[in-house]
Parts: sequence; structure tokens; C-alpha cells
Amino acid sequence: MTAEPTFEEAQAELERIVERLERGDVGLDELTTLWERGEELYKRCAAQLTETQGKIEELAKRLGTEDV
Amino acid sequence: MKVESIEIDGRKVFSVRAFNQGVALWLKRLPTVWVEGEVTELRRQERWASVFFTLKDPEDGACLSVQMARGQFDALRLELVDGERVHVYGRPDFYEQRGEFLLRAMSIERYGLGAHLAALERLKQKLAAEGLFAAARKRPLPRIPRLIGLVTGNDAAAKRDVLTAITTRFPPAHVLVAEAYVQGPRAVSTIVAAIDDLCARGVDVLIVARGGGSFEDLLPFSDERLIRAVVSCPVPVVSAVGHEQDTPLVDLAADVRASTPSVAGRLVVPDIGELRAWLDRAHGGLQRGARRTVESHQRRVTSAAERLHRAPALVLERRRARLAATRGRLLALSPKATLERGYAIVRAGGAFVRTPPALGTPIAVEVAEGSFGALVE
Repeated sequence: MTAEPTFEEAQAELERIVERLERGDVGLDELTTLWERGEELYKRCAAQLTETQGKIEELAKRLGTEDV
Repeated sequence: MKVESIEIDGRKVFSVRAFNQGVALWLKRLPTVWVEGEVTELRRQERWASVFFTLKDPEDGACLSVQMARGQFDALRLELVDGERVHVYGRPDFYEQRGEFLLRAMSIERYGLGAHLAALERLKQKLAAEGLFAAARKRPLPRIPRLIGLVTGNDAAAKRDVLTAITTRFPPAHVLVAEAYVQGPRAVSTIVAAIDDLCARGVDVLIVARGGGSFEDLLPFSDERLIRAVVSCPVPVVSAVGHEQDTPLVDLAADVRASTPSVAGRLVVPDIGELRAWLDRAHGGLQRGARRTVESHQRRVTSAAERLHRAPALVLERRRARLAATRGRLLALSPKATLERGYAIVRAGGAFVRTPPALGTPIAVEVAEGSFGALVE
């Protein structure tokens, strides 16, 4: 199993696919594969942007006396 | 003065008092000197004749007890607090009653700006010579960080500024905040501990932020231990310390220097609007590219079909042309053209006549415009 790509990896792969498709020199059988992969990457990126909940975590205080 | 000893079994033996006296005498011959260190455990009480503190070496923690007459100390009006760096002018002394070594201070000067600057400059040269500030060492920041580490004071405006900048620009950001003292004697060790802690928790970029402050307040950010911690940090570090005009050494060691905490926040995350726009463009490109690919295949198929349809007609046409050409050549070879010039073809009994035939033989004569029969005379 390959690890889930990071946003950056997904982004780079999607860019490569779009470039190839825009050149229009892809075989029809490969087109289906590429297009499906592209859609999957697009959905993954979009989900990361919209569904990922931002989080701010404070590590345990170790300084003791100071007020928070 | 002679230190008294007694002879016991041929052995020279001193009393404690005499021994201490002797040491004190010997120490008194040492010169008066300036000693530099950090003030710790300062003890001063109105009812005491002296003020006591420990002078600590900031590098390795070596300690020296210092004593100064309270009147003299108060007259300096230094308002010293623990952790401050000073120069103490004094001479070694020995508290005979307790057998304790100490420095008897005659004057104290706060470690001046000039001394600080000179020390900073020396450290800067040394670290630069090691290549710690080299541009080649600088690492690029991740385009989209998975986990951002932030080291800052616990109630600092700097913290708020960084977090606001990050969450405004990129709401899905995940930030891990570690607090540290950002000034005073414990700043360096707590900041270094926070950096190590955040790295161990897997951050992929680190911000060290502190708002503006006095020259002394910002000194921990030029401390050698802190600089080395930043340099050896496994992920890129963004420094945002003090104001634009301050250049603590951490700014030189960091991978990226931000002029303010807000700028640091904006630097570590991408703009979500731009990212969404990119994603929409990519998606559009995907659809367009797929359509274009299909269309180009369609065009190819169509043109192949057309050529296929045209092919039989083309073959026929070519044959026709060849036939015409052959016919031309055939015509050129026929005797008709010769007849036009006035010659005649004479046949007797169907055969060409090449020798004069017998008289009365019927012959057929063919000329350009027609033919007729005749008899040989």
C-alpha cells in the first residue's frame, strides 16, 4: 500500500495529469485512467481544503507560575 | 605575621584557626580584579551590614560568592535583580570563621551595552566562521505545512498575531503552541526545550516569535545555545523576534526571517483563496483536457473514414486517366495521321499491296476521308 499523498504531492500529480491531457496526445484507454485519477486527486485536494478542521493546540504548561 | 604551628611527633600541625588565618593572609596578596558574571541569589536585608550574592558564569555555571558592604551597594543604586550580568571589582577574601572563600566587592557595574555588543559581535563572527549563517544552509518552507510549531511567550501579543495571521490565511492549519520564557535568565533553556519538544512531535515548520523589547530583553535570542538549537533543528525555522531594526543572531540562523510575528504567520501557510482558485483551474483543465483528447481522437477517426470513402472513386479516376493516356499513345501510332498527309493504303484481297498486282485485280483503296474500290490497269 502506498501512503496517502500529501496535499503537495496530490497537487503536483494533478498538475502533471492536466498538462498531459491538455496536450491531447493521450490514448483513449489511458485517458480514462488519467481522468479518473485526476478527478480523485481533485476531490482529495478539495476535501483537504474544505473539510480539514483547523486546530490550535497548546502544549502542557511547564512554566508553572505564570498566568495563562 | 607568622602563622603558628606546633610539633607533634615530628609533624607540623596547624589549628583550624591558624590554617584559615594563613590562607587568608596568602589570599590577601592577590590583586584586585574585575570579574564578570550573572547575579544570582541576591540577598539584602536592612539589618545586615553586608549584601550577598552569587556570581555565576553564564557559560558553565561556575559560582563565586560575593559580599559587599550594604552602604556601598545601596550607594550604587543599581537595583540589580537576579540574572543580570555585571562586572564586579573586588579582591579575593577568606571568611576565616567559616573557612569560606569569597570575592569582596568594592564596586559593581552593570554589564554595559558596549560590552554586550562586543560579545555579540565576537559570537557572530565565530558562528559565521562555522558557516551557521550561510545562505546555502537555508531550507525552503513547506508549501502546505501539515503541522506548524510555534514557540512564544505565554500571553504574548506575538502569539496572537501569528495565530491570527495563520488562521485567517489558511483556516485548515494545525498549530502546536509551546510556551517559553522569552526574556530573562530562563528564556534560553525554555525556548530550546520548546523547540526540541515541538520537533519531537513532528512539526514540519517552526516559528519562534517574540514581540519588541529592550536590547537586554532580546539577548536570549542571540544566545549561542539557542542559535545552535535553531541550526540543528530538523525542520525549517522562521524567526520573528523584535522589530524590523533589531537583528538578534537567531534571525541570521533561521531559515527565514520575518519582520513581524504576523508576517511569520503569513509566510508559513498558503492563501486558501489562491489554493482554491488553483484547484478550480486544475479541475477545469482536467475536463477541458479530457474533452480535447476525445475530440482529437474523433477528428482522427472522421478523417480516416473520409479517406476510406474517397478511395474507390480515386482508384477509378486513376484508371481512367491511364486509359486516356494509353489511347493517346495508340492514336499517335495509327496510320490515320499519315493518310491525312495524302498517302493511301491499298489492299488486295484483304492484304496490303506491296508489289504491283496482276492486271484486272480488284483492289480497295483507303484514303483519309474514306475508301473506294478500283481495278488494276
